[in-house]
Amino acid sequence: MRLNDALLGAILLGFAGWVWWMTTFFPAFPGQDYGPNLFPRILACGIALCGAMLVLRGLRQRAPLVAVDGWMRDPAKLVSFLLIPGATLFYVLASDRLGFIPTAFAILLALALWFRARPLVALPVAAGVTLAVHWFFSGLMRVPLPRGLMDPLL
Amino acid sequence: MDALIQAFGLVFDPSVLVVILLSAVFGMFVGAMPGLTATMATALLVPVTFFMPPIPALGAIVTATAMAIFAGDIPAAMLRMPGTPASAAYADESYEMTKKGQLNLNMGVNLVFSVAGGLVGVVVLIAAAPALAEVAINFSSFEYFWLACLGLTCAVFLTNADAVKGFLSLFLGLLLATVGIDPSAGFPRFTFGEVELMQGINFIATMIGMFAVSELLRGAVTVRDAGHVVVQQVGDMFRGLGAVWRRYWFNFLRGSVIGTVIGALPGAGADIAAWISYAVSKRFSKEPEKFGTGHVEGIVDSTSANNSALGGAWIPALVFGIPGDSITAIVIGVLYMKNMNPGPTVFTENPQLIYSVFLIFILANLIMLPLGWAAIKSARQMLRTPRNLLLPCILLFCIVGSFAMTNSLYGVVLMLVMGLFGWFLEEHGIPVAPLILGLVLGEMLEQTFVQSMIKADGHYLEFFARPIAGVLGVATLLIWGVMLARGIMRSARR
Repeated sequence: MRLNDALLGAILLGFAGWVWWMTTFFPAFPGQDYGPNLFPRILACGIALCGAMLVLRGLRQRAPLVAVDGWMRDPAKLVSFLLIPGATLFYVLASDRLGFIPTAFAILLALALWFRARPLVALPVAAGVTLAVHWFFSGLMRVPLPRGLMDPLL
Repeated sequence: MDALIQAFGLVFDPSVLVVILLSAVFGMFVGAMPGLTATMATALLVPVTFFMPPIPALGAIVTATAMAIFAGDIPAAMLRMPGTPASAAYADESYEMTKKGQLNLNMGVNLVFSVAGGLVGVVVLIAAAPALAEVAINFSSFEYFWLACLGLTCAVFLTNADAVKGFLSLFLGLLLATVGIDPSAGFPRFTFGEVELMQGINFIATMIGMFAVSELLRGAVTVRDAGHVVVQQVGDMFRGLGAVWRRYWFNFLRGSVIGTVIGALPGAGADIAAWISYAVSKRFSKEPEKFGTGHVEGIVDSTSANNSALGGAWIPALVFGIPGDSITAIVIGVLYMKNMNPGPTVFTENPQLIYSVFLIFILANLIMLPLGWAAIKSARQMLRTPRNLLLPCILLFCIVGSFAMTNSLYGVVLMLVMGLFGWFLEEHGIPVAPLILGLVLGEMLEQTFVQSMIKADGHYLEFFARPIAGVLGVATLLIWGVMLARGIMRSARR
């Protein structure tokens, strides 16, 4: 997926304006000429400049407003792509309640099966990797991975 | 001298050696798998090394990256798929050699010259870093300001991408670095009242997102229709190497020196070193017509260059705290986490740390010879690892790694956002490396800039008054001028 340079530039101009507007709320300190707003403002100007140049370039090119790659029209490939953020979001939403082990196992198994791994291979790999990661991070390195449903067992 | 003995004791501790060996195997594997890069190996290693003392943590990173850069050559020759971007420059050439039946020689050349090139990079690092540190000890905010500017400018200048997009990426990175408590007045900026954002954007979660998750997004699209990989077995890879040495020793030296210098320039790493030294090799070759037909000459240059670049990149990282490439950008993040702020004072206060890094570098390059040999011999099995199982596992490592960096879901969310953002940027031809450099250097740049502005008090010539600051400042302005002129000429031609 590719936005036209002009559209991308326009978004950046808007973003730079928002950054500048945010800096107007930063406090000034009497007797101190260079406060917390100086550097972000310079950067906002830089981003705006890049945005303006992209707008100029985009208007000359006449590319479509949004160009979509071939694979995005293939539903299976689109699902493969969306599964990566989807699985991560699932972890964010479910791991506290379910616990690390069930969540990680579900993610590994679902992804591997969707990517056409054989169930007889995917099952032991998902289980083994989940337990190994849990042992290493939770056991060895004392990372507080969520226990969730497994709390009584662990 | 005491420090050197101490360093020996630190590095040759059995547990450190085990960590080095394990990370070497890990690096070999990640480097040899197409689509998994050396930077990704580093980003995934950091959460694992987070709880280790500094020496094994640094040892793991140095070893894994050195192995990964070499191992990238293996699938380049066998499958025409570079294992890491650093091998892309000569993947076609290597594959042509394989087609001519010279896979054995090709693997031997790649292995031996990677080791030798890596050692040249280390020698330069050992010679240059302490000397530079002695100069740097007298630097004031003006020098550091210009050094940071010059480094960031180089990062844009060297990335082949167009300058507007390079600078855009850089500004976005610097802006991300302003999130959190500001260094001059202690005011929380762009935090929206979130406590997690007060400490700033977590650097490692960002790196994992930008370098690993965005790669997974690209890989996920093709993983379902990946076919089976057929790879030849490699025989005696050391036969015929002597002749290559005698004939192309100058190419080796030239490639290693170019690699080290490019590695030392901020923002450009092993991949650009390989491209440039391959081009130089072709330009000055006596038989340039043979390039592209499976000719070993260009490979000698560039396979030496990408490994020597690794050592070179550590020079500015250790001396000034300015990363030479995206791998050392992560290293600087690690050093800060371990409360060992890189800079010239490390050389006087913690010399045993510096010597340990040198020792690990030498050790890593030496064990590359047997381990690389083993990796080439087992390439058939390694390259058959099914990607449909590997991809989900890497995603899980990313999630757990980011979680471990913050001990909260904030890290995971940040990783996801940055992964999608990094993917979006690359889709638009906007390079990610300047952004990462901006994020690492943002605080230093702002701090030295504001300090210098206060010192100068409106007299802007003060920025050029000290001799080294003057030279650095003029050099930075010159590069800006060249880039501006190039841009104007390009748009006038259209």
